[in-house]
Amino acid sequence: MEVLNNFLGGTVTLFSDPVGILIFFGGVVGGMLFGAIPGVSMLTLAAILLPFTAHLSPEHGIMLFSVIYCTGVYGGAITAILFNIPGAPENAPTAFDGYPMTQKGQAGKAVGAAVMCSAIGGSVSCVIMMIATAPIADWAISAFGPPEIFALVFFGLAVAASVGAKTFWKGWLSILIGLMIAVVGLDPVGGIERYDFDMPYLLAGIHFIPMILGFFAVSEVFVQAEKKVTGAYKAPKLSVDFPSFRELWAHKIAVVRSIIIGFFCGILPGIGATLAAFMGYNEAVRWSKDRMEFGKGKLEGVISSETANNSATGAAMIPLLALGLPGGALTAMMVGVFQMHDMEPGPLVFINSPDLVWVVFAAMFFANVSIIFIGFLETKTIINLLRIPFQFLAPMILLLATVGAYAVRGLPIDVLVMFIAGVGGFFLRRSGYSVAGIVLGLILGKIGEQTFAQAMQMLHFEFSGYLERPIALGLLIAGFMTLLASVYGAFFKTQPVANKPAEETANT
Amino acid sequence: MLKKLLLSASVTAAATLLSAGPVFAACATDSLPGSLEGPGGYPERALTMIVPYGPAGGSGQVAQAMAEAVTELTKVSINRDHKPGGSGTVGMTAYMAAPADGYSVLEHIDDASSAHALDSGRPNPADDLIPLVTSQITFSQIYIRTEEDRFTDWDSFVEWVKAQGGKASIANVSKEGSMERVTMRFITDATGMEIQQISFDKGAPRYGALAGGQVDALFEQPGDVRNFLDAGKFKPILTILKESPSAFADVPNLTDAGLDFEPLLRFRGFYVHKDAPAERVEWLKWAFQKAYCEPSYQAYNESKFMTLIDSYRDTAGSQELITSTIGQYRDVYKAMGLEVK
Repeated sequence: MEVLNNFLGGTVTLFSDPVGILIFFGGVVGGMLFGAIPGVSMLTLAAILLPFTAHLSPEHGIMLFSVIYCTGVYGGAITAILFNIPGAPENAPTAFDGYPMTQKGQAGKAVGAAVMCSAIGGSVSCVIMMIATAPIADWAISAFGPPEIFALVFFGLAVAASVGAKTFWKGWLSILIGLMIAVVGLDPVGGIERYDFDMPYLLAGIHFIPMILGFFAVSEVFVQAEKKVTGAYKAPKLSVDFPSFRELWAHKIAVVRSIIIGFFCGILPGIGATLAAFMGYNEAVRWSKDRMEFGKGKLEGVISSETANNSATGAAMIPLLALGLPGGALTAMMVGVFQMHDMEPGPLVFINSPDLVWVVFAAMFFANVSIIFIGFLETKTIINLLRIPFQFLAPMILLLATVGAYAVRGLPIDVLVMFIAGVGGFFLRRSGYSVAGIVLGLILGKIGEQTFAQAMQMLHFEFSGYLERPIALGLLIAGFMTLLASVYGAFFKTQPVANKPAEETANT
Repeated sequence: MLKKLLLSASVTAAATLLSAGPVFAACATDSLPGSLEGPGGYPERALTMIVPYGPAGGSGQVAQAMAEAVTELTKVSINRDHKPGGSGTVGMTAYMAAPADGYSVLEHIDDASSAHALDSGRPNPADDLIPLVTSQITFSQIYIRTEEDRFTDWDSFVEWVKAQGGKASIANVSKEGSMERVTMRFITDATGMEIQQISFDKGAPRYGALAGGQVDALFEQPGDVRNFLDAGKFKPILTILKESPSAFADVPNLTDAGLDFEPLLRFRGFYVHKDAPAERVEWLKWAFQKAYCEPSYQAYNESKFMTLIDSYRDTAGSQELITSTIGQYRDVYKAMGLEVK
């Protein structure tokens, strides 16, 4: 009851103040727009706005950032679905199935599912955040250390080979390519230089955003261009039919599963929405009867990814507010907003500034709800971009991807990397490899390698140390069982997609 | 609980008392002129500040605070261009390739000095660049959880770690040759402790590891964990300085703990190309040094515990600091058996 009273109090404070309302809606729209443009993410908007928050009240400043966070994570789904350009890494799994759905003339369904599930995932995690911030934060940091996070990543990777590749072995080779790219540069724990060939840019590692843009957007332009030249090109059918309630209800288990996964990933400091989206997607694949249909335009793929990444937003506020531990870059910037007002996030915020906390909680909840309304309005218009003929759309996609790759660090080499990935992705897709698998390997590989090295340091370089950590052990066993089952399947079962031509699948 | 609050209150009060007074910064650059006209109308456009780290970390924040202070003082805008990666290598490389026209400046930390100490092929911030100002200098401490009952102070911590036979752990940034790893080497050699260092390159997981009991202790600078100190979650058990700052008068320092080595400091500053036009460099020196005393920048430094020791060095002072730091690292690296190029 006290939670409800506090929530209503926060709501009244938020909507009784015209300036607060203006900032709220500015944040909602700004987050969506910046989230939708690759490279120029919600972080860019947050970095631009950070100095100006000094002139806002602490409530308005923190509220603005939290609203941008909620809608920015959703915003990148639209370009991922319509043009195979994920606005941010956390939207990459959405493209795995969202873009193939667009090609099948189901763009409306994919976007509608993304809108609904982002709103549901975000809102539910907000409610959990309101009810149990402090105990959840304490539990998360006690129960989940590097060994558990590594085991979680391994568990996720074990199923990733079945996403989008023509055969089981090509799926695993795709993952291994991603893992190999992930180890270029300084090792994340000891700082040892690897595969840098004395080039400072390689020393910093290959940034995953240009890789994602190259593998998805650029290679797709090449694939479609080839079809155009050979006369096989078919323009995607325009569809604004949103998914029916029955269709969404049929995926209720996927939604609940992704909420739980997204929430878990969100509350782990330094992990956040990207791992949440990938893990949400991977678990959808693991528990599906039609595992091999993922990556080819399955609605459940979009639902799982978008529910999980927005579910991580509310969860990421838990360690920030309860412990002062930011989960990612945007929540780290929120620490800066707090500090500009001579405040520090952490347990004292609940004691010293309860009004601020509840205004932020209310704003995040309503930002997630507003995704439904503004998202539908936005997509009814944006989907019409698909009417643009390919010869005009392709240069726009390449331009947008180039800007996105350059904007990450302002380095021309990132643009080069994007085009190399695009060409490589084009040929790999023709050969039945999965670019989705490569991206999965790359993203999970970076997190997995770091946490594995930290885990081994913590366990004094003895694998037997895992026996004393039941959560990590359970996840590792489950991961190995998944691996064994998929190897068994590859040898002893027929593979339903093995005979399908690679051209039928967009992200393979 | 009461103990926690008292500790928290005493730390905060002492820091506030110290930082509020005109101890170090009354202010360091008050003698500089209040305004200075740039040579030949310079700067005619906004300056670019290359920051080799992300916007949310310590470098990103100090870059923002300094850029705002310079703009307040001179009305000249500064665009921050973050180029993270490779422990600052990418940003440094990009800056060295930028035109030496006085329109671009670089933010960097002591990592640039230790990188040059290990590999003289890397730029020397004192010779290959001109330091405009060093605006943050701080020290490190070792922290434990306030509620920890296996040990409560430095002596009991050392005793407990020795009893664990190498199973105890401390979270830090233990990359090869880092300030943290070198300092820990000094400490373990002097005490005979054997402790596993767990390297976390980002702050949040590092602090979370201590708060959640994943590690037994944390190596960090006080400004970065101030909210945990204020909240009574962490407490320092060793200050890695020869004399204790008054805000941490009750915490043993190196002398108290019988540790005889020169402490390595963490410092952040701003640089310009050595080939930039001399008159423009002079104007930049004035702008950045004077901006250090702008109220907004001083308030920022206070909030980060950056006024507990003298955080300011002008160009000559910065060169001296960098050169001595490089020499110190080089000696240590040789003693550690690392290959110094």
